[in-house]
Amino acid sequence: MSVVAENHPVVSQEEWLEARKEFLADEKKLTRLRDELSRKRRELPWVKVEKDYVFDGPNGKETLADLFDGRSQLVVYHFMFGPDWEAGCPRCSMGADHFDRSAIHLSQRDVTLIAVSRARLAKIDAFKKRMGWGFKWVSSYGSEFNYDYRVSFTHEEMERKRFDYNYGLNGFPSDEATGTSVFYKNVDGDVFHTYSSYARGGEGMLLPYHFLDLVPKGRDEEDLLPDGMAWVRFHDSYADSPQHTCCHS
Amino acid sequence: MSTMSVSHKIVSQAEWLAARKALLAREKELTRLRDMLNQQRRELPWVRVEKEYVFDAPDGKQTLADLFAGRSQLIVQHFMFGPGWKEGCVGCSFKSDHIDGTLAHLENHDVSFVSVSRAPIEEIEAFRKRMGWKFKWVSSYDSDFNYDFHVSFTPEEIEIGRVFYNYAMVDASIEDLSGDSVFYKDSGGDIYHTYSTHGRGDEQFVSTYMYLDITPKGRNENGPRYNLTDWVRHHDRYEDGGSVNEHGRYVAATNGCGCEESES
Repeated sequence: MSVVAENHPVVSQEEWLEARKEFLADEKKLTRLRDELSRKRRELPWVKVEKDYVFDGPNGKETLADLFDGRSQLVVYHFMFGPDWEAGCPRCSMGADHFDRSAIHLSQRDVTLIAVSRARLAKIDAFKKRMGWGFKWVSSYGSEFNYDYRVSFTHEEMERKRFDYNYGLNGFPSDEATGTSVFYKNVDGDVFHTYSSYARGGEGMLLPYHFLDLVPKGRDEEDLLPDGMAWVRFHDSYADSPQHTCCHS
Repeated sequence: MSTMSVSHKIVSQAEWLAARKALLAREKELTRLRDMLNQQRRELPWVRVEKEYVFDAPDGKQTLADLFAGRSQLIVQHFMFGPGWKEGCVGCSFKSDHIDGTLAHLENHDVSFVSVSRAPIEEIEAFRKRMGWKFKWVSSYDSDFNYDFHVSFTPEEIEIGRVFYNYAMVDASIEDLSGDSVFYKDSGGDIYHTYSTHGRGDEQFVSTYMYLDITPKGRNENGPRYNLTDWVRHHDRYEDGGSVNEHGRYVAATNGCGCEESES
């Protein structure tokens, strides 16, 4: 499993410092580029949401406007969990494992963070309870929401194999995909779609990866390719046998 | 509070898509650059750790080697929490709110995580319990560790006001600063320091920031300091008012009698 060479170069503190300083300059470029793209992202135009999307939530039927919960910004985590699935996707679960504490801080910045899946609410609630999560998670079952925001795909699309995902005719190996969408509600109650990202676009928020990116072995997924993330389990399932992967059904 | 333009550009789906695709190309550039730097980071040379560092853990003394807990990679979070502070820095607490949910995944991928502060272990434990955190947190109170890894500074250095931090000499008026350090333990038990990052180098661990970065208002830090001290509080203090000073420490609201505010 290890990809660390046994003969990794070991140097004096002075030599290390020199190499580290040089690398720091490159890291700062990455930070500046991230800052620049965050600015450009905020400059993107918006699209007015004209449809009345309705979800099943803990308070019964809720519209997209209701989901803002009194705030003006809504982040939707498109959690892969189809109506006939036994559980949500393990990789989406890894991404959601820090939501509860994150939401405390986001709410102070006028942001409501929720998860949306096509599974029925009862199934979502049971899985949420098992995972010990408190964040709000609603069902879009019966709604066109997931299809319109390109994270669920019809039988026809799946048969075509090539269909619109991540802003191109990329297709996707499962009829449920992951992504993040952002909406804004103005003072008049009009809702606008401001942004969506898919695929590796969500990596910025996938915290365990950022820690793994610092350590000598890195993400250590080379032996697992093409399904590098095959090592990920639910946080309560690492001791169990290998689990079914949801992205390659 | 809002810096939102009231007249943000509203377009058709087709126009939005064209603009979004153009940004996607730039976002992919960022992803590729991150991949490249991750590769280069792993190629950095290592330094062998020759000193025997010993820490106070809730259950007794532990060496740096012990902190690996059977794994070969160790991430140390340098949590700003000096002796007598009563509570840790607000920014480090913000970052730490993301840790517990991540541990199961790291620990099953050959990575141990530990937080290290100079405060005595009793003070750390009291604060850790208040915050409800489960991650391991040890004290380097009696150790050179924080000084050797350039996150704590001597009273003499602070007196002069210049310290070596984030790989440069900078002005400093506080004895403890933040960062993350990475260590590797080989099959012979030798330990190597592989990497440390400071300043904004740890921002990607604050997923809340990464989410704010995709929202219309962004981080929305509009002063007085234009950083997280403008708004972040300990997760149990958002209702309490007060402020955060330039050292990242919480300052309680004044009680109305004109008493001087003091760092808690």
